[in-house]
Amino acid sequence: MIDESKQDLLVQYLLGELDSTTADKVSAEIAVDGELRDFAHEMEEAFASLAYTATPIAPPPELPQRVLRMERRAGQDSRPAPRLRMIWLAIPWALAACLAIACAVLGVEWASTQKSLISLREKAGETSKELGLLQEKNAQSESKLAQTQEALTQSEKELALLRERNVLAELKITTLKAQIAAYKGATAVVIWDRDKGSGVLQLDKLSPAGPGKDYQLWVIDPKKPQPVSAGVFAVPNEGLIRTSFHPAVPVESVDAFAISIEKAGGAPKPQGQIILVGR
Amino acid sequence: MTAAQTIRPTVVRSDFIKSAPTTVEGRLRDRAHRMNRPAQEPDSELEARLISQIAGGDEAAFGMLYERFSASLYGMAFRMMNDAKEAEDVLQEGFTYIWRKAASYDSSRSTPFAWAVMIVRNKAIDRLRTRQRQERLHDKVTTEGSFFQEKDETSADQPSVRERGALVRSALQQIPPEQRQALELSFFGGLTHEQIAERLATPLGTIKARIRRGLLRLRDCLKEGL
Repeated sequence: MIDESKQDLLVQYLLGELDSTTADKVSAEIAVDGELRDFAHEMEEAFASLAYTATPIAPPPELPQRVLRMERRAGQDSRPAPRLRMIWLAIPWALAACLAIACAVLGVEWASTQKSLISLREKAGETSKELGLLQEKNAQSESKLAQTQEALTQSEKELALLRERNVLAELKITTLKAQIAAYKGATAVVIWDRDKGSGVLQLDKLSPAGPGKDYQLWVIDPKKPQPVSAGVFAVPNEGLIRTSFHPAVPVESVDAFAISIEKAGGAPKPQGQIILVGR
Repeated sequence: MTAAQTIRPTVVRSDFIKSAPTTVEGRLRDRAHRMNRPAQEPDSELEARLISQIAGGDEAAFGMLYERFSASLYGMAFRMMNDAKEAEDVLQEGFTYIWRKAASYDSSRSTPFAWAVMIVRNKAIDRLRTRQRQERLHDKVTTEGSFFQEKDETSADQPSVRERGALVRSALQQIPPEQRQALELSFFGGLTHEQIAERLATPLGTIKARIRRGLLRLRDCLKEGL
């Protein structure tokens, strides 16, 4: 008596639903077990009988000839002529040889490519390292440049200060004082630029020199035997007067300034009365 | 001796070389009318002998076996594929297999018809699975009721086929509907037990039992009928 689970297994076997391993086992059992074989036979007959329930349809009459024609063609195709057979037999070997050669060539190419690749990678590594060093140096240089520029700026500032100080140092400001009571109310200031060898004279409350007379400014250089004329100037009224001057000859050093009253047009050396002097 | 070496020139029968109508429907009608051949009683021994001859490359035997089985097998294939062209392709593949594998037929394991049915059914299932037409077919089962026809609508040109068809249909009427449905889905739908269980939302064990019991009832009915 075949149990139900075995019957189910047999049905699935007949319907082709089992995996190959299980199907092989069932097939082996059927081969040695008559009862199983009979049951399988009956089940298959019953199952196949269902085909009778389909409406029979007149089949294509030419189909058997079509099948046979195709089979003949397939048979001819699968049986090449003797001469050709050698070629057919040789083809797989030729293909294998070609494949082997191609593999060898590809292998060599591959090895070569690998070598080149490794070399290129090494070079790339070195280049990358050098690039890193250069970038580092560049960064250092830029840093130094910035520092230098900063120092330069600082130096320029300091230089400007120094120049400013130097300019001030080059200036000599002298207030001239009246030597005569009549000129006590007058003020005269000389600003002398040693570097340029010229100056500015500012006068205030100085009365006009009078007809046929002019005021003349003198620069006293201790290295020169005579005072050096710095020019004559007219005073139209007692208001504020400012005028620049240049000594008639270059002076090396200035000890004092003096203003005298000279005949109109001035004199080469002081001849008139000195009214204002300042050191 | 090979098939190619035993080709006989007298194989072609007159009804094999008739020209086909242009439309599928026309062809089917035409074939149905041309099936008025002399009745041949099904004879398993004769069919087994034909298969043996086919194994030896006998093309005439191949033609005779085709004549005996092809109407039922084509009808079955058409029912499974729901497409005349595909059914024809299935039939061609099935008979190509029979021609090639005739030597593997074992008369102790199955009758020639059952062997041929299983071959063609397997070819149809391969196509169904490949082309994923199962959904459409199964929808047809559920919407149209049954693959199995209640009566023989053919001209029943082969009395043996008609009688067997009537017998099987009668046997099916004695099977509970749920068993019949499971058998329908398995045979014509090409579904496995698992697929049927999934489709019907029923436990696998229940489906196995339905198919097994349905086949046992069918077997018994057929035995009684015979």
